[in-house]
Amino acid sequence: MEGNFLEVRNISKAYVGVQALDNVDMGIGYGEIHCLVGENGSGKSTLIKIIAGVEVPDEGKIIIEGKEYRHLHAIDSIRAGIQVIYQDLSLFPNLTVAENISLNQMVERNIKILKWPEVKKVAEKALAEIEEKLPLDELVENITMAEKQLTAICRALTQNARLIIMDEPTSALTREEIDHLFSVILKLKKKGISILFVSHKLSEVFEISEKVTVLRDGKKVGEYPTDELDNDKLIYLMTGKKIRMQKFVYEESGDVDKNVILDVRNLTKEGQFRNVSFKLRRGEILGITGLLGSGRTELALSIFGLNKPDSGEIYFMGKKVKIRSAQEAVKLGISYLPEDRLIQGLFLKQAIKNNIIVTILKELKGRAGLLRKQKIDSTVKKWMEDLSIKAPSGEIPAQTLSGGNQQKVVLAKWLATDPKVFILDSPTVGIDIASKSNIHSIIRELANRKIGIIIISDEIPEVLTNCNRILIMVNGEVKKIIDNVEGVTEEEIFKVVSSQVKSEVV
Amino acid sequence: MFKRRVFKRNEFYLFIVLLLFSAVLTGINPSFFTFENLFDLIKSSAGMALLALGVFIVLLSGGIDVSFTAIAIAGQYVSVNVLIATGIDNIYFALLISCLLGISLGAINALLISIFELPTLITTLGTLNLFHGALLTFIGTKAINVGGLPDSFKVFGAKNVFNLVKADGTTYGLSIYALILLGIVVLTWIILRFTMLGRGIYAIGGNREAARRAGFNIVGIQIFIYCYVGFLAGIMGVMHVSLIRYSNPLYIVGDELGVIAAVVLGGARITGGSGSIIGTLLGVAMIIVLEKNLILMGLSSYWHQFFIGMIIIIGVSITYYQSKLRAKRSLMYLR
Repeated sequence: MEGNFLEVRNISKAYVGVQALDNVDMGIGYGEIHCLVGENGSGKSTLIKIIAGVEVPDEGKIIIEGKEYRHLHAIDSIRAGIQVIYQDLSLFPNLTVAENISLNQMVERNIKILKWPEVKKVAEKALAEIEEKLPLDELVENITMAEKQLTAICRALTQNARLIIMDEPTSALTREEIDHLFSVILKLKKKGISILFVSHKLSEVFEISEKVTVLRDGKKVGEYPTDELDNDKLIYLMTGKKIRMQKFVYEESGDVDKNVILDVRNLTKEGQFRNVSFKLRRGEILGITGLLGSGRTELALSIFGLNKPDSGEIYFMGKKVKIRSAQEAVKLGISYLPEDRLIQGLFLKQAIKNNIIVTILKELKGRAGLLRKQKIDSTVKKWMEDLSIKAPSGEIPAQTLSGGNQQKVVLAKWLATDPKVFILDSPTVGIDIASKSNIHSIIRELANRKIGIIIISDEIPEVLTNCNRILIMVNGEVKKIIDNVEGVTEEEIFKVVSSQVKSEVV
Repeated sequence: MFKRRVFKRNEFYLFIVLLLFSAVLTGINPSFFTFENLFDLIKSSAGMALLALGVFIVLLSGGIDVSFTAIAIAGQYVSVNVLIATGIDNIYFALLISCLLGISLGAINALLISIFELPTLITTLGTLNLFHGALLTFIGTKAINVGGLPDSFKVFGAKNVFNLVKADGTTYGLSIYALILLGIVVLTWIILRFTMLGRGIYAIGGNREAARRAGFNIVGIQIFIYCYVGFLAGIMGVMHVSLIRYSNPLYIVGDELGVIAAVVLGGARITGGSGSIIGTLLGVAMIIVLEKNLILMGLSSYWHQFFIGMIIIIGVSITYYQSKLRAKRSLMYLR
């Protein structure tokens, strides 16, 4: 264990009644890219907070460069060169990029009077260290997510970071942006800066890390060199279960043409997608994959009536329809699960119950036009049981649920409308593996009930195991339709997907 | 580059509208567009501009203050009474008392808001009534007219920086108020632009949690903000009585919304974090010119109240509409 930048030993931490961390060890070497993985609630964030000095452990010690801390304060941690980039990035949207990079360092140095040339110089120096460019005079609210990420990294560099902890840094980035971020991480490594990378996405763990520490239920499962692990093994370590999904099989029955429920012909929206045609049958799961900017989400929004197409036709159950609003789509029997469940899919502060019934208020009305409590309760109970939503009652607010259970509430909300076509945009983003497979089986169950399903996802394994047909979009066009996924490999799909021209985003 | 920036700025459009308004006024009454009238406008609106600068800083930090009018009238009425009672007829003494009282009352706001973390609107609505009620109950309700007013106020109100002679031989001049306003504008600008304290005000208005993580002293910054508002209100109270030569403890209170409207009109986001001093001053000018327009057009002063209400509703709507648009864009094009 000699020669590590950071050592945590025998760390335990309990919150009222919950043992968040139980006797956890971890060591991070100089210039090492270390991944911390674990399911939600496994103690990852508690461990990060302890290393950052924000939380004090009940037991154990922290050793930074050989110096032992029994009580590590946030300021000690920063002075020792530990920088945490939280998922929300903690930037100031109303200030310029330059100021965002330099300000924290100036607060730390207890500067009272600001010298603007210095603000810029500090920012430029940090950028030069990683050989990147940013619009320094632009307000942060006007730059892209990837640029914001870089801003946060530069800010860490200005405070002489020796270890940068990144909490889920890729969750809002496109594939290309992630590649770029990884190249920056490698540059940091070259400078001897250690990285602790916290991620849900296992493929990224394999791509970037050298060592992996796995946590489960607050205990350390183990520390492994990345090349000794594979996907299945890592999933097993994280969940303690073997999760292996069978491929989804669609059985066509009866009159083939009669089964077509949604028929999209030559749908075009200038600057977003062109001449998109496809058919969706009852009980089938169609995957749409492509990079950001490929038009996948824009297409889905058009079918759901939220993004008026310029030309083309949509036939629903054999009839030509014009869908001008989300209300009309719902009336027809089309539901849409948005990509960002927190912003678009849930009323976070409202009870689970209210979230579930919000789409079917009309049906729950009694004679006087008031809602009938009994019927509400029975509906909510049914869905919570059907989808096995884990919550003590339907009365608690949705924000207290885990990501997986939140997503199930959104599913319930739309299923309550009894849809015939269900479009799910990135249904398992940011959800841990066990819940993920749970949601996948729910989706398959829905297909068995003869609902036509469209899954939009940039996770190729997800579409490959769960869909019987896959439509690949590149630069707003349907590049390829795979009618039979049998024998198709991830690499084949990835090749088509990544043929998207770099610079453009429609 | 420079050109693009100028056109993109909110303040540019505000300035154009202000010019149009003034042109209309000049059309109705040619005497509007004279130095004499300009000086007069500056004198009568300087007090409001001071209050507006205070409100601007509070909005910038993501809060709101509606109690500043009560602080201003308290500072004024108490200082007038102290000068009468002690016989010390000195304007600096009056300013000192008024500002100290203003800062103390501001500190009460600050403590409630920063230490107990109460919502700013409710807190200052409460202290507005608390301060004003205390003034009327414990100090008095009797108005002091020009005869009873210590001379130093009257001298202060009539003091000019320089005088000009008109063609008919009468003189007019630029009031000392203009100099005070300029001083406060520069002071505020320096604080906001060049001190960590000022950047901290922007920071907590932009992302409070990030400001906390960065190590800004949020309690300290908020204490400064509300005390500074109290300080400005204290100066305004003395300027006000010196201008109208009459101290009525029922005055000023009730003008809060007009000041807030000016700041919102000047482009400060009600949700915090953005806006500018120039914008705030232009906003005040707009409100004043609007008022004059209404009077010259022969409309009753109730119309003024009507328009103030409109400006606040429209200003807030625009801010929220813009953030809604942003949300819509992110739905369409993702991020």
